[in-house]
Amino acid sequence: MPKRPATQSTLTLDEQIAQAEAVFTSIGDAAIATDQFGKITRVNPVAVELLGFTEEELVGEWYPRKVVAVTEHNIPINLIDRPITKAFLTGKSIAEKMYYRKHDGENIPVSVNVSPIIMGAKPVGAIEVFRDISFEEEVDRMKSEFISLASHQLRTPLSSIKTYSHMLLDGYMGEMTPAQKKSLRTIIGASNRMNELISTLLNITRIESGRIAVTPKNLRVERVADEVIKELALLAADRNISVDLIAKNKQGYTVKTDTLILKEIITNLVSNAIKYTPVDGTVTIHISTRGDKLQVSVSDTGWGIPQYAHDQVFTKFFRASNVVKRETAGTGLGLYLVKGLLENLGGRIWFTSIEGKGTTFYFTLPKRFNPDRPAPKPAGGP
Amino acid sequence: MANILIVEDDKDLNNAYRIILESAGYTVESAFDGKEALEALKNFDPDLILLDLLMPIMGGLEFLQNYDLKHAHPDVKVLIFTNMENSPEVTEAYNLGAHRCIIKSWTAPHNLARVIQDSLAGNKATVTE
Repeated sequence: MPKRPATQSTLTLDEQIAQAEAVFTSIGDAAIATDQFGKITRVNPVAVELLGFTEEELVGEWYPRKVVAVTEHNIPINLIDRPITKAFLTGKSIAEKMYYRKHDGENIPVSVNVSPIIMGAKPVGAIEVFRDISFEEEVDRMKSEFISLASHQLRTPLSSIKTYSHMLLDGYMGEMTPAQKKSLRTIIGASNRMNELISTLLNITRIESGRIAVTPKNLRVERVADEVIKELALLAADRNISVDLIAKNKQGYTVKTDTLILKEIITNLVSNAIKYTPVDGTVTIHISTRGDKLQVSVSDTGWGIPQYAHDQVFTKFFRASNVVKRETAGTGLGLYLVKGLLENLGGRIWFTSIEGKGTTFYFTLPKRFNPDRPAPKPAGGP
Repeated sequence: MANILIVEDDKDLNNAYRIILESAGYTVESAFDGKEALEALKNFDPDLILLDLLMPIMGGLEFLQNYDLKHAHPDVKVLIFTNMENSPEVTEAYNLGAHRCIIKSWTAPHNLARVIQDSLAGNKATVTE
């Protein structure tokens, strides 16, 4: 460590210690300092108040044992997964959200930030700052509930519009003229688009609030893909794009996963491929097996994704500049949603793309959905 | 032809399903919440119940518990008809013995009739509706 110039340090050692103590005590969030073994050396008043222990009860104790961290389901977090351990192992600051169990047994949601104290390239301790985020969590939950309820309420009249339009079209109230039928198809098309939007909003809210439910069932992936192709036939015909399905295994591809979620994933990828491909193009869905996983790819002969945008494709509201000019309809939520849905099924997604040539999105899924396995961390390439 | 009980609080939709199912030849009874459905079941013996989840007075899940579908009426097929896809409520409905789940705003009338016919034949959904 470089020596500090003598002019800066006119305080005595005792004064310096007192000043450091005052700085630590005055931190507005809870703060706990430990030695290199994780033993608590110092706590500030906010930490004492938040955790409900006295200073004497905390100082000298092994931090991970004294302050129990749990998941939202009240499952204790392993020592190896505690931010303090990670900070010691990596030598970097670690920020995470979790729950701390207070002295009285109550769990409080906290945002934790741990930094190792490094001296001479070795960790000599750690300082952890954390704060109670109950209020933020509550606001977030209320927001999610509101969107969920609002979306549901929007859908109820939409269901009526769609059902009655279909009934008119199908002749339940007498035969329609070709012009009337054409108008009805326009109404149905518009209500379908609105429905998709609501569906996207609802699912994103559920993913972000961790409230998405997965109901695994045995299903045949090629049949789901085939249904998607049929449902998107009008959209594809509009642009004279052929949508092909390659599924070579004669026994089919059976996986145990959530049918509706899988269908939503494939629908999003295929409708994107159709929308972002010039007229007379081709979209190909390819189903195969990759080790113990199922792999599906959706390729198009479209405009492609510009290189600069490759690492933003799965972010919320992202739309590449080359397609914004051509195709105005789009929210930039589709791929963000697809990635979130896939992670909830234990799958992952990546893509390859050459601007002007086309794009291929790949995703893999476990053949059997495992509810105990958490979704993998954000994935890049294969 | 089979007997179908529609339990749906939205009057327009309830009426629409009645028209569709009656013209497909089924005998149809309507209820507008779970409590009305339990009442209607005293005089009506359904082969299939088309059940909404979110309803006033008594919702679909509470209805399933009261009706004791799993133990008392294992032969009756319950089709959940909801707009709450991928929700914990749908999972709960399956746990309570529901046969299938279809999404209202995605389902065209001819599909509804097809799914009902298929369910009555005892088929579980192999593909999405």
